[in-house]
Amino acid sequence: MVEFSPEVINTIIKAAALLGAGFAMIAGIGPGVGQGYAAGKAVEAVARQPEARGNIITTMLLGQAVAESTGIYSLVIAIVLIFTI
Amino acid sequence: MNPGPKIVRYLFGNEALPISDTLIVSWIVVILFIIFARIITLNLKMRPGYVQNAIEMLLTVIEDQIEPMLPGEGRKFLPFIGTIFIFVGLGNLIGVIPGVPNPTGDLNTTLGLALVVFLVSHYQGMKENGVWGYLKGFTEPVFFLLPLNIISELAKPISHSFRLFGNIVGGGIIITIIYQAVPGLIPVPIHAWFDLFIGAIQALIFGMVAIAYISVAKTS
Repeated sequence: MVEFSPEVINTIIKAAALLGAGFAMIAGIGPGVGQGYAAGKAVEAVARQPEARGNIITTMLLGQAVAESTGIYSLVIAIVLIFTI
Repeated sequence: MNPGPKIVRYLFGNEALPISDTLIVSWIVVILFIIFARIITLNLKMRPGYVQNAIEMLLTVIEDQIEPMLPGEGRKFLPFIGTIFIFVGLGNLIGVIPGVPNPTGDLNTTLGLALVVFLVSHYQGMKENGVWGYLKGFTEPVFFLLPLNIISELAKPISHSFRLFGNIVGGGIIITIIYQAVPGLIPVPIHAWFDLFIGAIQALIFGMVAIAYISVAKTS
């Protein structure tokens, strides 16, 4: 059994936390795909019905905001991992 | 820009009452806005001038956003939603001044606003359906789903507050990294994107989601 000194253990914990922060941000893929899909559908809708532009844009922004939540959660987790260690 | 709130001093020298820089900026925003509102409402005219016209247009736009989701009650909810929208909007936009932290980049501010919206939505739901009728709505469609419904209700203020907080702090961290990488340069396009564009959109979304929560609680 190898005994590690506290400095080595702290360094390992810090490295693992920073790596975990990086991995947490993989969740950014999901909102990117979702928001792009919503924006593409909104472009189609505006092309079909240009007079309903205002309503479509408001609905699109609201849907994108809800789709963004998961990405924001991962960002918060990453910030917590970076700044509390 | 706001890379995260810092405690600058303590109220009455008491360690239990810290005052952060975001709190000071939010007080400044509130005081400036109260003074502005007093000045423009001192002499309202039937034929409005430039400033009165702009303010009336802003209020009409907010009322038009409320009206489709809460039919017939746009005027009733205008003070509440308008206050939230204007405070969050000013809090986001004030970050465009270099070195000034956004009040909305602090989880205490956003969670406070989200909890106010949470309380108002449940109060309105109980007023609309009666206390027992509203609480019974949580057991639908089957009683077995009661814990899930409660968890989804508790998740609403959390996601509502974290969305605004995460957006503003994420932008603030990127701007701070650029400030440290290139000292002495003010990155105007980055400031314009994160503070003006994202700030305005997030203020709109915070208000819209507040309207949506109230409307969902009233109709359930």
